Amino acid sequence: MKRISLVQIKSNEKVKILEILGGSNLESKLLSMGVYKGKPVVKLSHIGLKGPVVIKAGRSILALGHSVAEKVIVERE
Amino acid sequence: MIKKIYLIGNPNVGKSVIFSRLTGVQVISSNYPGTTVEVAKGYLRLDNEKVEVVDLPGTYSLDPTSKAEEVSVSLLKEFPKEEIAVINIVDSTNLERNLLLTLQLIGEGFPVVVCMNMCDDAGHRGVHINIAKLEELLEAPVISTCALTGVGIKLLTERIKEAASVPGDKLTHQERWLEIGKIIEEVQHLEHRHHTFREIMEDASVRPVTGLIMAGAIIYAAFKIVRFIGEGIINHITDPVFINIYQPILGKLSTYWQEKGFWFHLLIGDLINGKIDFKQSLGVLTTAPYIEFGMVLPYVVSFYFILSLLEDIGYLPRLAVLLDNLLHRLGLHGYAVIPVLLGFGCNVPGILSTRVLESKRERFIASTIISIGVPCVPLQAMIFGLLGKFGGFYVGGVYLVLFSLVIILGIILNRSLPGYSPEFLLEIPPYRFPPLLMFWKKLYFRVRGFLVEATPVVLLGVCFINILLYFKLFDFVTAIFAPIIHDLFGLPKEAVVALAIGFFRKDVAVGMLMPLGLSVNQLFIGATLLAISFPCVASFVVLAKELGLKGVIKSTLIMIGISIIVGALLHFTILR
Repeated sequence: MKRISLVQIKSNEKVKILEILGGSNLESKLLSMGVYKGKPVVKLSHIGLKGPVVIKAGRSILALGHSVAEKVIVERE
Repeated sequence: MIKKIYLIGNPNVGKSVIFSRLTGVQVISSNYPGTTVEVAKGYLRLDNEKVEVVDLPGTYSLDPTSKAEEVSVSLLKEFPKEEIAVINIVDSTNLERNLLLTLQLIGEGFPVVVCMNMCDDAGHRGVHINIAKLEELLEAPVISTCALTGVGIKLLTERIKEAASVPGDKLTHQERWLEIGKIIEEVQHLEHRHHTFREIMEDASVRPVTGLIMAGAIIYAAFKIVRFIGEGIINHITDPVFINIYQPILGKLSTYWQEKGFWFHLLIGDLINGKIDFKQSLGVLTTAPYIEFGMVLPYVVSFYFILSLLEDIGYLPRLAVLLDNLLHRLGLHGYAVIPVLLGFGCNVPGILSTRVLESKRERFIASTIISIGVPCVPLQAMIFGLLGKFGGFYVGGVYLVLFSLVIILGIILNRSLPGYSPEFLLEIPPYRFPPLLMFWKKLYFRVRGFLVEATPVVLLGVCFINILLYFKLFDFVTAIFAPIIHDLFGLPKEAVVALAIGFFRKDVAVGMLMPLGLSVNQLFIGATLLAISFPCVASFVVLAKELGLKGVIKSTLIMIGISIIVGALLHFTILR
């Protein structure tokens, strides 16, 4: 299966978190904000080419900087 | 026996509002994560004992990832667990995310009371939580509150005593999320709702096209409203009071004054064409109160009116998302808009709130940029007063110079400082509408803060300047710096005094430029230099505290260097 990140999917797509790359620090930070393996999320928007990605996870709306979003690997439902 | 009560919770759940309710101590609360960067303390009466209550900066978990979170966690472990009670404040509209911290606190054996805040908002959004069931599952008291209106606060104080340590567990985060999933399943019931207008606006503000249109419209409207309210207060309230009531009183006083000696000079100042001129006389009873109350205060009120509104509604984090791209090029990330916007009010809270940024490098860049390129309200009000009558071109020019400086300086700092900027990761709060009473209280609190801090400095400052001027003690300093000021910046030597006063208070310093009879281009250079040259002493102290000695020296050298370059450049391009 192709590995895709939050950057690559389209807005309004529903996906599941598969993996978070880039070390345990980022992983635990996202984890504490409710973004963890297996969590379903919806991509809301992507600002500009290299801008942040906005997602909805549970009831929270989170903005992830471009390079953070690149490290969040997801799978389509 | 409880000796200390800690308030802890995720960012932006209303800890500070609960804190104000419990202790009566007013602290600033807003609708964005990271309003509280300093620990606030107050007291609560509990069974006729005074117990200290500590409001901790928000944290998502007990494993801290930022400086503010570190502070929270280390304070929590200061006292033995038997002597404290922890009030864990939870956002009822987002129970799932909040429960991680709750379970960690209980798991580590802290005596916890869970406070389910914003219960009314949860109801509006179709979120229903079975409090009794949650209490049973968590084995800790759970109280439903709405801090903004005060619902449930009394019950909360009554049940603090019930907080007890339960045997802990050591689960991993992943295991905890599984547990949270099960709890949510049992206690939370979501009503199915169609998108409300509020939710549509929430979404639109973070999408690229609609977001930018909204941001443009909001910033434009904000600017217009600040001008409208500020000028409205000046034209309809302060100016009539000063001119129709205060001036005749002073006029009578000065005609009875036979000998126009030292005291006359100190209190009334110089008469312009035989009359008192509030802008030029420079006396402790004339120009000093006029600068403070007649020129600056109206804009302090109007600026904080708009800022508080944007803060409370929850718009600022959305602006952060839109500006992330631009700010990245300056070595910052989107969230730096919050310190920058606060800096437009006063540089002191602006620099303090750079603590929401993760790295030392970011904090250095943000603080330096704020000190140089972000003029505070008093300074801006005076620039409007000074240059406004020559047309928007000159006022706009000052902002253009400052904005370009921020961009150029940011790019240079980002390229030259070692290290990289950490990534942007921010929770976007929903839009909320604070009750009017809370809104006015916050505005009053900020305006009062300004008056308490600025009034003595302005009055004493003008008094001090007048004494120095009367005894001609400035002549020495003027003589030393006159060549620089004159040859490099094209300003008369008297402007040295104004620039030096800028270190104490920017508004008074701009006021000092007014009686010098400068040309409009000279006024433009003077005002721009005052904006960039040096932060006032209060900001300087905070800067030193936040950046450390080495950082503040580096930052100061940058400021002096830039002032000289910009001053000279402006002089040779527009004066020659």
